[in-house]
Amino acid sequence: MNERKDVTAEDEFAEKAKRLFDESVNRLDGETLSRLNRSRHAALAELDKGRAAWVRWVPATGVAAAAVMAVIVWTGVPVVDDLSAPAVVTDMEILLTEDSLEMLEDLEFYSWIELSEDTDEAQEPANNVG
Amino acid sequence: MNACVASFAVSCNAEDRMGVNTLQSEAKLNRFLADVEKRALRIAEINIRDRDEALDLVQDAMIKLARNYADRPEFEWTPLFYRILQNRIRDWQRRRAVRNRVMVWFGKGNEDQDYDPVAAAPDLAGRAPDEELQTQEAMQSLEGAIAKLPARQREAFMLRMFEGLDVAGTAVAMGCGEGSVKTHYSRAVHSLRETLGEHWQ
Repeated sequence: MNERKDVTAEDEFAEKAKRLFDESVNRLDGETLSRLNRSRHAALAELDKGRAAWVRWVPATGVAAAAVMAVIVWTGVPVVDDLSAPAVVTDMEILLTEDSLEMLEDLEFYSWIELSEDTDEAQEPANNVG
Repeated sequence: MNACVASFAVSCNAEDRMGVNTLQSEAKLNRFLADVEKRALRIAEINIRDRDEALDLVQDAMIKLARNYADRPEFEWTPLFYRILQNRIRDWQRRRAVRNRVMVWFGKGNEDQDYDPVAAAPDLAGRAPDEELQTQEAMQSLEGAIAKLPARQREAFMLRMFEGLDVAGTAVAMGCGEGSVKTHYSRAVHSLRETLGEHWQ
């Protein structure tokens, strides 16, 4: 019986304490409420600050990706020709060596040699007959 | 060319989505803080008995929550916010204790006695003066009794009774086990009832 009475008294105490506290909260003055409001906005600004640091990179990244894609589309995809590439490299090697340059200077001489060899080959079978 | 337009569109959409999410989470946090700020202020004020300092502590707690825990699930915000606030209150009380010791050493009084409960009392809200006076006196008695409680009992009582946190939430806010919360709360209620006497109830 006493225990039940104590529980009831404790509930009443809790109820009154809560009510008094809530009333004191509801009757905070305007200046205090205004300061709380400012504090809240300061906290929310902090939230924006933290996000702004990486969010501002998003449009820049998008523009950069678009620009890269545009360049690729505009100029065509650089296709590597497996057959022609080694040939070009070989030609360049030949052209850049000194001997090759001398050969180019004597191009007429080599043309004459080639012609004369062709002529000799054409005459040899006739000589062998008989 | 289409690929380039698509790439830009994807980045714009991502930005829009993030913008919407940011606004949504900002609105949620705003609602949460608006809901909790007044009670938090009164709890801090009852603890440290100085409204200006209590406002600073609440602002610090709000900023820390926004900066470090805004991405946590909403149901975690209340205990996290009160944990931050309780830590701030404890730090403040430690600093004050040191300051008071130094002041006593140099022959100055306890600054805590400067607290004027009448000046800090809320404004009248259209009540009869005697009724208002009774209410204010009852609250001041309660605040006085709470101030005399040991720190952990005070925390448990205010978080459970005034903020309405459950045992688990109070345990998170206080950084202790649920069993300790129950013990501290029970002792606090018992002690307050004894201090305030039957006439208060």
